[in-house]
Amino acid sequence: MKVKIKKPTGGQVAIAILLLVLGILMSMQIKSVRQSNELKNLEKARAIELAEQINKLREENVSLRQQIYDYEKKIKEYQDSAASISKTTELLKEELDKVKILAGLTDVEGPGIIITLDDSKIPAQPNVDPNSFLLHDSDILQVINELRAAGAEAIAINDQRVVSTTEIRCAGPTISINNTRYSAPYIIKAIGDPKILKNSLEMRGGIIDLLKEFSIGVKIEEASKVVIPRYTGSLKFNYAKIRSEGS
Amino acid sequence: MIVLVIALLIGILIGLFIPISIPQDYSSYVAVGLLAALDSIFGALKSNLKGDFKIDIFISGFVGNTLIAMLLAYMGDMLGIPLYQAAVVAFGVRIFQNFGEMRRSILIKNKSFSKEEKNQ
Repeated sequence: MKVKIKKPTGGQVAIAILLLVLGILMSMQIKSVRQSNELKNLEKARAIELAEQINKLREENVSLRQQIYDYEKKIKEYQDSAASISKTTELLKEELDKVKILAGLTDVEGPGIIITLDDSKIPAQPNVDPNSFLLHDSDILQVINELRAAGAEAIAINDQRVVSTTEIRCAGPTISINNTRYSAPYIIKAIGDPKILKNSLEMRGGIIDLLKEFSIGVKIEEASKVVIPRYTGSLKFNYAKIRSEGS
Repeated sequence: MIVLVIALLIGILIGLFIPISIPQDYSSYVAVGLLAALDSIFGALKSNLKGDFKIDIFISGFVGNTLIAMLLAYMGDMLGIPLYQAAVVAFGVRIFQNFGEMRRSILIKNKSFSKEEKNQ
């Protein structure tokens, strides 16, 4: 077969010009699509970077906490050695230990109860406010209040010790306790007379009755030994000062 | 044919090197317009092959189809209906049809040429 070189016809010239325009538009479009893809990748990369930062900060947090423990151990050693020196310091140390239990600054153990609260497992139903099947900060507050009234000596929610500055506050889908957010289930530990604690919670018309009405998961266990960790945050009083007797 | 390919390549190069790109918001309309233009070009190639190519039909089709496709896509966005899909399907099908006809007519032509050569 022979290849014939034909002179381009008028039609071919017209097509060629339009092809030229098409080529320009096409490559511009390709550039723009590529740019938008790069933008998306950039966003993805940023999310990954932020996740890495969170992990790093978490690790840092753990090591800092370890440091706090180490320092406190040292302080305790100094106190113990001081106590062995004289009678007065020994008495002072006893007093200090008592105050520490009151303030929630020591791990404590004793008989008590463990309460597990969980959101209702019933699927959402029409015409019923789905909020009523979820645990709220107010529910937990009521439980804590009831425990306090029944003479609980130490309380922790998800191992966050309840101290004088503890807040129990709604934070979106979570509940903030000691500025740490937790979602369901909530495990509340309390030290006190197990029988009294349990009965006060389960009294007719009490908080557990109310929660069960909304089929919220409630489990109460009596335990002969409940371990409650100490408060791990810092307690700093900037405004409250001890009032001197005379004034 | 070679002229056409060269023209397309030159166009692509110009587009790549001028520092203008299509704004993100109009990108989808241009894409539909490009498809319509591509359809017109395939149609022109086919009729060129068959010998019934008419330049006024080609140019009006090229410009008209492109504009209508872009307008359709824009209107779809306004109305909340993905009308650009209609353009994509319609032009897509036509491109394949035109290509099919081109392929067939080229093959038939080549066959008849080789027959003539044998006869001579």
